[in-house]
Amino acid sequence: MKGKKFIILFLSAVIALGALAQSSAAKGTTACLECHAEKGRSIQFQDGNSIEAYIDAGAFNASVHSFLDCTDCHRGFTPSDHQEMKFRSKELFKLRYSRICRRCHKDEDISKKAIHASLLKKETNGDSHVCTDCHAAHSVTPVAGGKVFANEESYCLGCHAHEISMRFKNNETIPLKLDMQGLKASAHGNLSCSDCHFGFSSEEHPTRSFRTSRDYAIASADVCRRCHFDKYTKTLESIHYSLLSQGNLGTPTCTDCHGSHLIARITEDGEMSARKCQKCHQGIYDIYSKSVHGAALFSEHNQDVPTCTDCHKAHDIDDPLTVEYHEKIPSMCSDCHADKAIVGKYGLSTDVVKTYLADFHGITLGFYRKQKDEFYRPARPIAVCTDCHGTHNISSTVGPGAAAVKATLLKRCQKCHEGATENFPDTWLSHYVPSMSKAPMIFIVNSVYKILLPIMVLGLLLQVLLHIWRYIADR
Amino acid sequence: MDVIGNNKKIRRFSTARIIEHLVLIVVFTTLAATGLSQKFYYLKVSQWLIFTLGGIDTVRLIHHYAGAAFAVLALVHITVATLGIWLLRWQPSMFVTKKDILDAVHNIRYYIGLENSTAVCDRYDYKEKFAYWLVLTGGVIMGMTGFTLWFPITIAKYLPGEAIPLAKAMHSNEALLIFLLITIWHVYDSIFSPDVFPLDTSIFTGYTTREKMRRLHPLELARLEGKSPEEILKSSAPDSAEAEEEPGQNPL
Repeated sequence: MKGKKFIILFLSAVIALGALAQSSAAKGTTACLECHAEKGRSIQFQDGNSIEAYIDAGAFNASVHSFLDCTDCHRGFTPSDHQEMKFRSKELFKLRYSRICRRCHKDEDISKKAIHASLLKKETNGDSHVCTDCHAAHSVTPVAGGKVFANEESYCLGCHAHEISMRFKNNETIPLKLDMQGLKASAHGNLSCSDCHFGFSSEEHPTRSFRTSRDYAIASADVCRRCHFDKYTKTLESIHYSLLSQGNLGTPTCTDCHGSHLIARITEDGEMSARKCQKCHQGIYDIYSKSVHGAALFSEHNQDVPTCTDCHKAHDIDDPLTVEYHEKIPSMCSDCHADKAIVGKYGLSTDVVKTYLADFHGITLGFYRKQKDEFYRPARPIAVCTDCHGTHNISSTVGPGAAAVKATLLKRCQKCHEGATENFPDTWLSHYVPSMSKAPMIFIVNSVYKILLPIMVLGLLLQVLLHIWRYIADR
Repeated sequence: MDVIGNNKKIRRFSTARIIEHLVLIVVFTTLAATGLSQKFYYLKVSQWLIFTLGGIDTVRLIHHYAGAAFAVLALVHITVATLGIWLLRWQPSMFVTKKDILDAVHNIRYYIGLENSTAVCDRYDYKEKFAYWLVLTGGVIMGMTGFTLWFPITIAKYLPGEAIPLAKAMHSNEALLIFLLITIWHVYDSIFSPDVFPLDTSIFTGYTTREKMRRLHPLELARLEGKSPEEILKSSAPDSAEAEEEPGQNPL
């Protein structure tokens, strides 16, 4: 009985003390909030910057620190004694206040988290971190400590929604703040952080050290091949990869064209695709945009015209300066120019391909492409479409552009046909099929033989057959 | 009864002609093979031939040199024939006459049963003359257009550029014409024709038989034997049977 009384007494004492403590805490906070709940107050720094001295009471009460009194952190402040403190800058102010956190959150406690461990390690190198950058000051949100997160994203965003950055050995920094909205709208909107950032989780946050941001970008692009293996293997055959493996770190890797978090969805828009190449190939882009193809793409948004990747491909980009590439050009141009459905709309004839392939250069090229290496081959590659029409600067052959093509033709002929004179380019009928209006002499010769040949053959065969028939009849 | 055996051999071609023809066979076959495979480059057989010969450039090289050989052969032939007829009073037996056209009509009438016998021909019949002149005139065209195609840069210095594709059209068409003429008619007439089957060997041996002469070139035989054509023709019908009864007879 005595024991029971004692317990009741003890419990009521605890409750009374608790209530007392609660009311006293509330009392201190209320006093501060009398001023700090109002907007318009600010703290001035010596460098001219300032921050608001406003506290959102609601957010504070919802925070993990709602049980604390203002003075628990802001020691030495009371309604009557409100000491003046001077700081040179906002950064120094924040740094100073970060130390307050460490009074309760001891290094050995926080270092259990990998992210903190790596930050603490950097601190020993003189690289200071501000707790409130990630955790906020008065609305301290729970990051760990038994609190459950809705998903992985919200866990990662606990830090990566903030203006944090990553520093490389060369002192470059890149922002680590993630545009979540952009990510959700991207082609990878359904993926979780660790789908790409494997090795990272709420338990693990390995510290990696890169020399430069470029090194980091190249290493990170390796992530893509886990899903896009087909594209990855194609890139291994590309000129970009071969340049990269030769040590040219400027060559593009996956993310340079596709972006990292804001991966664009596959698009048929030639303009967008050309702009990606423009990033590095500005000179060629300028020439292309003035060509008959480029002009139509950029001014009319014509999607029939070839853009960079139509000839160079996207992933397995060949070295365009090889003979093999050169010899593939007519078949590239044929993809459109032999297709009536595409070029017919613009009044272009598909004869251009046929006439080329049936003439000296086309036939020779056809054999060169099939011939084995041991066969003779001239040092200079045979003329293909681009040799007369240009490559990125292809101009129209109707209208004023025609003169430009014609003007350069003789010079082009002379490259292989030494000593060619003015008349020489006319040996090529400019893709025209002979007719009464174009090359009539050739048309007439062909027509005469077209009539003569069958008559002669039929006549001869008839004579032969009649002879045999008569011979048999006579026996 | 004929006293002169029909199996008696008669000299028809001189050694020079035999050599000329042999060279022509080689050159013509080379030109046809390397030329037609370029004209019909898309055919499997053409591609096989071109790759077997060592590629398109090698084939063109062979074609050019064979063409040059053909040109030399034609020039020698024309020069010798012209000089021979002009200075040595050779018989212009290859010249086309009105009789050739009549012979052709006569033979067609014979084939369809309107005549009882074949045309009576001289040293060269109308078929041989037709083939000869087509190959000779065609050969000149082929040579001229061929050199135009071989040296387009030089030609374009003096002629409009279009001359080259024109030359190509003529070269390519004429080639097919000559090729078909030779393969259809000449090969038939000298190999498969019942008149000569299995092979008219006269151009290789230089000799033909009197029997063949009597049937195919009666006018020349009459001249050789100093008889009238009628005498030769009269003896024709029963002779052929007799000739076969004397296979062992070899007057030479």
